[in-house]
Amino acid sequence: MSQSNREQLRRDQAAQAKQKRLNRIIGVGAVVLVVVLIGVFIAVLFQNQAHTSTTSSATPPNATGSKDGIVVNPGKFTAGAPVVELFFDYQCPVCKQFEGIYGASLKSLAASGAIELRYRNMTFLDNNLNNDASLRAGIGAVCSDFAGKYSTYHEQVFANQAAKEGDGYTDEMLRVTIPATVGITGADLTSFQSCYDKQTTKAFVSGTNEAASKAGVNATPTFHVNGKDLSLQTIAGVKPEGLGDLIKQNA
Amino acid sequence: MSRRSPSYTDPVSDTSAISLHRRPWQEWATLAARLILGVTVLVAGLLKVTRLDASVQSVRLYQILPWDVAGFVGIALPILEIVVGLLLITGTFTRLAAIAGSALMLAFIIGIASVWARGISIDCGCFGGGGAIEASLTAYPLEILRDTGLLLTGAWTVWRPRAPFAVDNWLFAPLDPMVSEPEPIAEDDKESTR
Repeated sequence: MSQSNREQLRRDQAAQAKQKRLNRIIGVGAVVLVVVLIGVFIAVLFQNQAHTSTTSSATPPNATGSKDGIVVNPGKFTAGAPVVELFFDYQCPVCKQFEGIYGASLKSLAASGAIELRYRNMTFLDNNLNNDASLRAGIGAVCSDFAGKYSTYHEQVFANQAAKEGDGYTDEMLRVTIPATVGITGADLTSFQSCYDKQTTKAFVSGTNEAASKAGVNATPTFHVNGKDLSLQTIAGVKPEGLGDLIKQNA
Repeated sequence: MSRRSPSYTDPVSDTSAISLHRRPWQEWATLAARLILGVTVLVAGLLKVTRLDASVQSVRLYQILPWDVAGFVGIALPILEIVVGLLLITGTFTRLAAIAGSALMLAFIIGIASVWARGISIDCGCFGGGGAIEASLTAYPLEILRDTGLLLTGAWTVWRPRAPFAVDNWLFAPLDPMVSEPEPIAEDDKESTR
Protein backbone atom coordinates (compact mmCIF):
# COMPACT_ATOMS: atom_id res chain seq x y z
CA MET A 1 0.00 0.00 0.00
CA SER A 2 2.55 2.53 1.12
CA GLN A 3 4.83 1.13 -1.56
CA SER A 4 2.37 2.07 -4.30
CA ASN A 5 1.79 5.47 -2.68
CA ARG A 6 5.49 6.16 -2.87
CA GLU A 7 5.42 4.97 -6.41
CA GLN A 8 2.53 7.29 -7.15
CA LEU A 9 4.29 10.20 -5.48
CA ARG A 10 7.40 9.58 -7.49
CA ARG A 11 5.41 9.44 -10.68
CA ASP A 12 3.75 12.76 -9.83
CA GLN A 13 7.07 14.34 -9.06
CA ALA A 14 8.48 13.04 -12.29
CA ALA A 15 5.53 14.37 -14.26
CA GLN A 16 5.85 17.73 -12.52
CA ALA A 17 9.56 17.93 -13.24
CA LYS A 18 8.95 17.04 -16.85
CA GLN A 19 6.25 19.67 -17.15
CA LYS A 20 8.51 22.25 -15.53
CA ARG A 21 11.29 21.48 -17.98
CA LEU A 22 8.90 21.69 -20.92
CA ASN A 23 7.50 25.00 -19.69
CA ARG A 24 11.05 26.33 -19.37
CA ILE A 25 11.87 25.37 -22.94
CA ILE A 26 8.64 26.72 -24.37
CA GLY A 27 8.99 29.89 -22.30
CA VAL A 28 12.48 30.70 -23.54
CA GLY A 29 11.46 29.78 -27.08
CA ALA A 30 8.48 32.10 -26.91
CA VAL A 31 10.63 34.95 -25.61
CA VAL A 32 13.06 34.53 -28.51
CA LEU A 33 10.20 34.47 -31.05
CA VAL A 34 8.56 37.53 -29.55
CA VAL A 35 11.87 39.42 -29.56
CA VAL A 36 12.34 38.63 -33.27
CA LEU A 37 8.80 39.66 -34.18
CA ILE A 38 8.89 42.88 -32.17
CA GLY A 39 12.32 43.69 -33.57
CA VAL A 40 11.19 43.30 -37.17
CA PHE A 41 7.93 45.14 -36.47
CA ILE A 42 9.71 48.11 -34.90
CA ALA A 43 12.29 48.23 -37.70
CA VAL A 44 9.60 48.21 -40.42
CA LEU A 45 7.63 50.87 -38.56
CA PHE A 46 10.73 52.98 -38.03
CA GLN A 47 11.68 52.66 -41.67
CA ASN A 48 8.21 53.67 -42.89
CA GLN A 49 8.23 56.60 -40.49
CA ALA A 50 11.54 57.81 -41.90
CA HIS A 51 10.14 57.73 -45.42
CA THR A 52 6.82 59.45 -44.87
CA SER A 53 7.87 62.71 -43.33
CA THR A 54 4.95 64.69 -42.00
CA THR A 55 6.49 68.03 -42.92
CA SER A 56 4.95 70.03 -45.71
CA SER A 57 5.80 68.67 -49.10
CA ALA A 58 5.60 70.33 -52.47
CA THR A 59 5.82 69.22 -56.08
CA PRO A 60 7.98 71.47 -58.23
CA PRO A 61 6.31 73.22 -61.18
CA ASN A 62 8.26 71.30 -63.83
CA ALA A 63 7.89 67.84 -62.33
CA THR A 64 7.20 65.02 -64.75
CA GLY A 65 3.67 63.66 -64.79
CA SER A 66 4.60 60.65 -62.69
CA LYS A 67 6.75 62.82 -60.35
CA ASP A 68 9.83 60.74 -61.09
CA GLY A 69 11.95 63.69 -62.18
CA ILE A 70 11.98 67.21 -63.56
CA VAL A 71 11.52 68.30 -67.15
CA VAL A 72 14.42 70.58 -67.99
CA ASN A 73 12.88 72.13 -71.12
CA PRO A 74 9.13 72.20 -70.53
CA GLY A 75 7.13 73.43 -73.51
CA LYS A 76 10.22 73.73 -75.69
CA PHE A 77 10.48 70.27 -77.20
CA THR A 78 8.62 69.34 -80.35
CA ALA A 79 5.91 66.72 -80.24
CA GLY A 80 7.39 63.25 -80.64
CA ALA A 81 10.90 64.38 -79.73
CA PRO A 82 12.96 61.59 -78.12
CA VAL A 83 12.68 61.54 -74.33
CA VAL A 84 16.15 61.67 -72.85
CA GLU A 85 16.44 60.84 -69.16
CA LEU A 86 19.60 61.41 -67.18
CA PHE A 87 19.89 59.59 -63.85
CA PHE A 88 22.47 61.13 -61.58
CA ASP A 89 23.55 61.51 -57.97
CA TYR A 90 25.05 64.83 -56.89
CA GLN A 91 27.87 63.07 -55.04
CA CYS A 92 28.86 60.92 -58.01
CA PRO A 93 32.21 61.98 -59.50
CA VAL A 94 31.54 60.37 -62.87
CA CYS A 95 28.26 62.33 -63.06
CA LYS A 96 30.26 65.52 -62.62
CA GLN A 97 32.59 64.44 -65.44
CA PHE A 98 29.62 63.57 -67.62
CA GLU A 99 28.06 66.95 -66.89
CA GLY A 100 31.33 68.66 -67.78
CA ILE A 101 31.67 66.88 -71.12
CA TYR A 102 28.09 66.45 -72.35
CA GLY A 103 26.09 68.86 -70.18
CA ALA A 104 26.27 71.86 -72.51
CA SER A 105 25.49 69.71 -75.52
CA LEU A 106 22.44 68.21 -73.80
CA LYS A 107 21.22 71.64 -72.79
CA SER A 108 21.48 73.03 -76.30
CA LEU A 109 19.62 70.00 -77.67
CA ALA A 110 16.99 70.61 -75.02
CA ALA A 111 16.77 74.34 -75.78
CA SER A 112 16.42 73.68 -79.50
CA GLY A 113 13.53 71.33 -78.82
CA ALA A 114 15.21 68.33 -80.47
CA ILE A 115 14.80 66.28 -77.30
CA GLU A 116 12.67 66.27 -74.18
CA LEU A 117 15.22 66.32 -71.38
CA ARG A 118 14.35 64.92 -67.99
CA TYR A 119 16.64 64.92 -64.97
CA ARG A 120 16.07 62.08 -62.57
CA ASN A 121 17.78 62.69 -59.26
CA MET A 122 19.03 59.75 -57.20
CA THR A 123 20.37 59.82 -53.64
CA PHE A 124 21.70 56.31 -53.07
CA LEU A 125 25.26 57.52 -52.55
CA ASP A 126 24.10 58.92 -49.20
CA ASN A 127 23.83 55.30 -48.11
CA ASN A 128 27.20 54.32 -49.51
CA LEU A 129 29.00 57.38 -48.16
CA ASN A 130 26.99 57.51 -44.94
CA ASN A 131 26.00 61.17 -45.20
CA ASP A 132 22.99 63.12 -46.48
CA ALA A 133 24.66 65.43 -49.01
CA SER A 134 22.99 63.91 -52.08
CA LEU A 135 19.58 64.39 -50.50
CA ARG A 136 20.30 67.98 -49.41
CA ALA A 137 21.70 68.90 -52.81
CA GLY A 138 18.62 67.33 -54.42
CA ILE A 139 16.33 69.26 -52.08
CA GLY A 140 18.12 72.51 -52.99
CA ALA A 141 17.97 71.78 -56.72
CA VAL A 142 14.27 71.00 -56.66
CA CYS A 143 13.60 74.10 -54.50
CA SER A 144 15.34 76.17 -57.17
CA ASP A 145 12.75 74.98 -59.71
CA PHE A 146 10.19 77.21 -57.98
CA ALA A 147 12.40 80.15 -58.98
CA GLY A 148 12.79 78.72 -62.49
CA LYS A 149 16.52 78.05 -61.99
CA TYR A 150 16.60 74.28 -61.82
CA SER A 151 18.94 73.58 -64.70
CA THR A 152 21.55 76.20 -63.77
CA TYR A 153 21.38 75.26 -60.09
CA HIS A 154 21.95 71.63 -61.10
CA GLU A 155 24.98 72.67 -63.14
CA GLN A 156 26.39 74.66 -60.23
CA VAL A 157 25.98 71.78 -57.77
CA PHE A 158 28.22 69.64 -59.95
CA ALA A 159 30.61 72.54 -60.48
CA ASN A 160 30.99 72.74 -56.69
CA GLN A 161 31.30 69.03 -56.04
CA ALA A 162 33.95 68.26 -53.41
CA ALA A 163 37.23 66.97 -54.81
CA LYS A 164 37.10 64.01 -52.44
CA GLU A 165 34.06 61.77 -52.77
CA GLY A 166 32.24 61.71 -49.45
CA ASP A 167 33.01 65.28 -48.42
CA GLY A 168 29.56 66.25 -49.69
CA TYR A 169 28.08 69.75 -49.72
CA THR A 170 27.74 72.28 -46.92
CA ASP A 171 24.38 73.93 -46.22
CA GLU A 172 26.11 77.27 -46.78
CA MET A 173 27.04 76.16 -50.30
CA LEU A 174 23.57 74.90 -51.15
CA ARG A 175 21.42 77.63 -49.62
CA VAL A 176 23.63 80.74 -50.03
CA THR A 177 26.52 80.38 -52.46
CA ILE A 178 24.89 78.51 -55.34
CA PRO A 179 21.63 80.54 -55.24
CA ALA A 180 23.73 83.72 -55.44
CA THR A 181 25.68 82.32 -58.39
CA VAL A 182 22.57 81.36 -60.35
CA GLY A 183 20.80 84.63 -59.51
CA ILE A 184 18.08 83.66 -57.06
CA THR A 185 17.48 86.96 -55.23
CA GLY A 186 14.98 88.95 -53.19
CA ALA A 187 11.66 87.29 -52.46
CA ASP A 188 12.71 84.28 -54.52
CA LEU A 189 15.75 83.80 -52.30
CA THR A 190 13.63 84.03 -49.16
CA SER A 191 11.21 81.40 -50.36
CA PHE A 192 14.07 79.28 -51.72
CA GLN A 193 15.80 79.26 -48.35
CA SER A 194 12.56 78.54 -46.55
CA CYS A 195 11.98 75.63 -48.95
CA TYR A 196 15.51 74.35 -48.29
CA ASP A 197 15.36 74.79 -44.52
CA LYS A 198 11.95 73.12 -44.18
CA GLN A 199 13.00 70.39 -46.64
CA THR A 200 9.75 70.99 -48.49
CA THR A 201 10.97 69.04 -51.50
CA LYS A 202 12.41 66.11 -49.54
CA ALA A 203 9.46 63.83 -50.28
CA PHE A 204 9.74 64.64 -53.99
CA VAL A 205 13.48 63.87 -54.07
CA SER A 206 12.99 60.62 -52.14
CA GLY A 207 10.28 59.81 -54.66
CA THR A 208 12.52 60.38 -57.68
CA ASN A 209 15.20 58.18 -56.11
CA GLU A 210 12.70 55.42 -55.39
CA ALA A 211 11.18 55.62 -58.87
CA ALA A 212 14.63 55.29 -60.43
CA SER A 213 15.49 52.33 -58.20
CA LYS A 214 12.17 50.68 -59.10
CA ALA A 215 13.02 51.25 -62.76
CA GLY A 216 16.11 49.14 -62.14
CA VAL A 217 18.63 51.95 -62.21
CA ASN A 218 21.22 51.42 -59.49
CA ALA A 219 24.29 53.18 -60.83
CA THR A 220 24.87 56.70 -62.08
CA PRO A 221 25.15 58.33 -64.49
CA THR A 222 22.59 56.34 -66.44
CA PHE A 223 21.27 57.61 -69.73
CA HIS A 224 17.91 56.56 -71.17
CA VAL A 225 16.54 57.36 -74.60
CA ASN A 226 12.80 56.66 -74.80
CA GLY A 227 13.17 54.39 -71.79
CA LYS A 228 16.03 52.34 -73.25
CA ASP A 229 19.48 52.32 -71.72
CA LEU A 230 22.21 53.96 -73.75
CA SER A 231 25.47 52.81 -72.23
CA LEU A 232 28.20 55.17 -71.12
CA GLN A 233 30.68 53.32 -73.31
CA THR A 234 28.53 54.04 -76.35
CA ILE A 235 28.18 57.69 -75.41
CA ALA A 236 31.90 57.98 -74.70
CA GLY A 237 32.45 56.90 -78.30
CA VAL A 238 31.08 60.17 -79.65
CA LYS A 239 32.15 63.79 -79.26
CA PRO A 240 29.72 66.11 -77.44
CA GLU A 241 28.58 67.58 -80.77
CA GLY A 242 27.73 64.07 -81.97
CA LEU A 243 25.40 63.39 -79.05
CA GLY A 244 22.31 64.62 -80.90
CA ASP A 245 22.84 62.18 -83.76
CA LEU A 246 23.55 59.32 -81.36
CA ILE A 247 20.26 60.04 -79.58
CA LYS A 248 18.40 60.13 -82.90
CA GLN A 249 19.90 56.78 -83.91
CA ASN A 250 18.81 55.21 -80.63
CA ALA A 251 15.41 56.85 -80.33
CA MET B 1 18.50 -1.37 -16.15
CA SER B 2 21.38 -0.83 -18.37
CA ARG B 3 20.57 2.79 -19.00
CA ARG B 4 21.71 3.72 -15.51
CA SER B 5 25.17 3.22 -16.87
CA PRO B 6 28.25 4.90 -15.44
CA SER B 7 28.53 8.44 -16.62
CA TYR B 8 31.78 8.02 -18.51
CA THR B 9 30.04 6.04 -21.26
CA ASP B 10 27.55 8.82 -21.69
CA PRO B 11 29.38 11.86 -20.40
CA VAL B 12 26.96 14.37 -21.88
CA SER B 13 23.96 13.23 -19.89
CA ASP B 14 25.02 15.09 -16.76
CA THR B 15 27.15 18.08 -17.61
CA SER B 16 27.12 19.47 -14.10
CA ALA B 17 28.95 16.44 -12.83
CA ILE B 18 31.73 16.39 -15.40
CA SER B 19 34.95 18.13 -14.69
CA LEU B 20 36.36 20.15 -17.55
CA HIS B 21 39.15 17.78 -18.49
CA ARG B 22 36.64 15.08 -19.24
CA ARG B 23 34.79 17.03 -21.91
CA PRO B 24 35.46 15.59 -25.32
CA TRP B 25 37.43 17.90 -27.59
CA GLN B 26 34.42 18.19 -29.90
CA GLU B 27 32.61 20.28 -27.30
CA TRP B 28 35.40 22.81 -27.26
CA ALA B 29 35.44 22.84 -31.04
CA THR B 30 31.72 23.56 -30.97
CA LEU B 31 32.23 26.38 -28.50
CA ALA B 32 34.78 27.94 -30.84
CA ALA B 33 32.60 27.39 -33.92
CA ARG B 34 29.57 28.82 -32.13
CA LEU B 35 31.46 31.91 -31.04
CA ILE B 36 33.09 32.54 -34.44
CA LEU B 37 29.79 32.33 -36.32
CA GLY B 38 27.81 34.05 -33.57
CA VAL B 39 30.11 37.05 -33.17
CA THR B 40 30.39 37.46 -36.94
CA VAL B 41 26.66 37.56 -37.62
CA LEU B 42 26.02 39.68 -34.53
CA VAL B 43 28.52 42.30 -35.70
CA ALA B 44 27.16 42.13 -39.25
CA GLY B 45 23.64 42.67 -37.95
CA LEU B 46 24.59 45.54 -35.64
CA LEU B 47 26.46 47.36 -38.40
CA LYS B 48 23.42 47.12 -40.66
CA VAL B 49 20.61 47.80 -38.22
CA THR B 50 21.55 51.43 -37.66
CA ARG B 51 21.47 52.10 -41.41
CA LEU B 52 18.47 50.26 -42.73
CA ASP B 53 18.30 52.32 -45.94
CA ALA B 54 21.75 51.13 -46.87
CA SER B 55 20.83 47.57 -45.93
CA VAL B 56 17.75 47.64 -48.17
CA GLN B 57 19.80 49.17 -50.97
CA SER B 58 22.46 46.47 -50.64
CA VAL B 59 19.85 43.73 -50.95
CA ARG B 60 18.37 45.42 -54.02
CA LEU B 61 21.77 45.63 -55.70
CA TYR B 62 21.87 41.84 -55.91
CA GLN B 63 18.89 42.11 -58.29
CA ILE B 64 17.56 38.76 -57.18
CA LEU B 65 14.45 39.55 -55.16
CA PRO B 66 11.50 41.66 -56.35
CA TRP B 67 11.77 45.31 -55.33
CA ASP B 68 9.28 45.18 -52.45
CA VAL B 69 10.47 41.83 -51.11
CA ALA B 70 14.03 43.12 -51.12
CA GLY B 71 12.78 46.09 -49.10
CA PHE B 72 11.46 43.78 -46.39
CA VAL B 73 14.47 41.48 -46.43
CA GLY B 74 16.80 44.46 -46.09
CA ILE B 75 15.01 45.41 -42.86
CA ALA B 76 14.46 41.94 -41.42
CA LEU B 77 17.91 40.54 -42.20
CA PRO B 78 19.87 42.65 -39.68
CA ILE B 79 17.35 41.81 -36.92
CA LEU B 80 17.59 38.11 -37.77
CA GLU B 81 21.38 38.29 -37.76
CA ILE B 82 21.43 39.95 -34.34
CA VAL B 83 19.09 37.36 -32.84
CA VAL B 84 20.90 34.39 -34.39
CA GLY B 85 24.21 35.88 -33.27
CA LEU B 86 23.02 36.27 -29.68
CA LEU B 87 21.54 32.76 -29.62
CA LEU B 88 24.79 31.25 -30.89
CA ILE B 89 26.99 33.22 -28.51
CA THR B 90 24.87 32.30 -25.50
CA GLY B 91 24.29 28.73 -26.73
CA THR B 92 20.51 29.01 -26.66
CA PHE B 93 18.64 26.65 -28.96
CA THR B 94 22.10 26.06 -30.37
CA ARG B 95 21.13 23.60 -33.06
CA LEU B 96 18.25 25.71 -34.40
CA ALA B 97 20.37 28.85 -34.28
CA ALA B 98 23.18 27.08 -36.10
CA ILE B 99 20.73 25.88 -38.76
CA ALA B 100 19.55 29.47 -39.21
CA GLY B 101 23.13 30.76 -39.29
CA SER B 102 24.16 28.13 -41.83
CA ALA B 103 21.12 28.93 -43.95
CA LEU B 104 22.12 32.61 -43.91
CA MET B 105 25.66 31.77 -45.02
CA LEU B 106 24.35 29.50 -47.76
CA ALA B 107 22.03 32.26 -48.97
CA PHE B 108 24.92 34.76 -48.96
CA ILE B 109 27.17 32.39 -50.90
CA ILE B 110 24.45 31.80 -53.49
CA GLY B 111 23.76 35.53 -53.71
CA ILE B 112 27.41 36.48 -54.19
CA ALA B 113 27.99 33.67 -56.69
CA SER B 114 24.92 34.75 -58.63
CA VAL B 115 26.07 38.37 -58.76
CA TRP B 116 29.54 37.26 -59.80
CA ALA B 117 28.14 35.01 -62.54
CA ARG B 118 25.96 37.81 -63.90
CA GLY B 119 28.90 40.20 -64.04
CA ILE B 120 27.42 42.73 -61.61
CA SER B 121 30.05 44.69 -59.67
CA ILE B 122 29.03 45.32 -56.10
CA ASP B 123 30.40 45.29 -52.60
CA CYS B 124 28.62 42.40 -50.88
CA GLY B 125 27.33 44.73 -48.17
CA CYS B 126 27.89 41.93 -45.71
CA PHE B 127 28.93 44.27 -42.91
CA GLY B 128 26.83 47.26 -43.89
CA GLY B 129 27.89 49.72 -46.55
CA GLY B 130 27.76 48.02 -49.89
CA GLY B 131 27.00 49.69 -53.16
CA ALA B 132 28.00 49.41 -56.78
CA ILE B 133 31.75 49.45 -57.19
CA GLU B 134 34.27 49.14 -59.97
CA ALA B 135 34.76 45.64 -61.31
CA SER B 136 38.42 45.72 -60.26
CA LEU B 137 37.42 46.31 -56.64
CA THR B 138 35.11 43.34 -56.27
CA ALA B 139 36.26 40.60 -53.89
CA TYR B 140 33.87 37.78 -54.68
CA PRO B 141 36.29 34.84 -54.21
CA LEU B 142 37.37 36.16 -50.83
CA GLU B 143 33.78 36.85 -49.76
CA ILE B 144 32.67 33.38 -50.81
CA LEU B 145 35.67 31.79 -49.09
CA ARG B 146 34.87 33.62 -45.87
CA ASP B 147 31.20 32.65 -45.97
CA THR B 148 32.10 29.05 -46.75
CA GLY B 149 34.32 28.96 -43.68
CA LEU B 150 31.47 30.34 -41.62
CA LEU B 151 29.09 27.83 -43.17
CA LEU B 152 31.42 25.05 -42.00
CA THR B 153 31.38 26.36 -38.42
CA GLY B 154 27.59 26.43 -38.66
CA ALA B 155 27.38 22.90 -40.06
CA TRP B 156 29.70 21.62 -37.32
CA THR B 157 27.52 23.25 -34.68
CA VAL B 158 24.37 21.71 -36.20
CA TRP B 159 26.06 18.31 -36.06
CA ARG B 160 27.51 18.71 -32.54
CA PRO B 161 25.53 21.43 -30.77
CA ARG B 162 26.63 20.42 -27.27
CA ALA B 163 29.24 22.72 -25.79
CA PRO B 164 30.27 24.30 -22.51
CA PHE B 165 28.96 27.71 -21.47
CA ALA B 166 25.59 27.25 -23.12
CA VAL B 167 22.15 28.26 -21.94
CA ASP B 168 21.05 24.95 -23.46
CA ASN B 169 22.87 23.09 -20.68
CA TRP B 170 20.41 24.65 -18.25
CA LEU B 171 17.45 24.80 -20.59
CA PHE B 172 17.65 21.16 -21.67
CA ALA B 173 19.19 19.82 -18.47
CA PRO B 174 18.16 16.22 -18.05
CA LEU B 175 15.70 15.47 -15.31
CA ASP B 176 17.01 14.17 -12.04
CA PRO B 177 17.57 10.48 -12.82
CA MET B 178 16.09 9.40 -9.49
CA VAL B 179 12.87 11.22 -10.32
CA SER B 180 12.84 10.53 -14.00
CA GLU B 181 13.26 6.79 -13.58
CA PRO B 182 9.78 5.87 -14.81
CA GLU B 183 10.27 7.36 -18.27
CA PRO B 184 13.93 7.93 -18.95
CA ILE B 185 13.95 6.61 -22.49
CA ALA B 186 12.69 9.70 -24.23
CA GLU B 187 15.18 11.81 -22.30
CA ASP B 188 18.11 9.63 -23.17
CA ASP B 189 17.12 9.55 -26.80
CA LYS B 190 16.97 13.30 -26.76
CA GLU B 191 20.41 13.51 -25.25
CA SER B 192 21.96 11.22 -27.79
CA THR B 193 20.64 13.33 -30.63
CA ARG B 194 21.55 16.64 -29.12
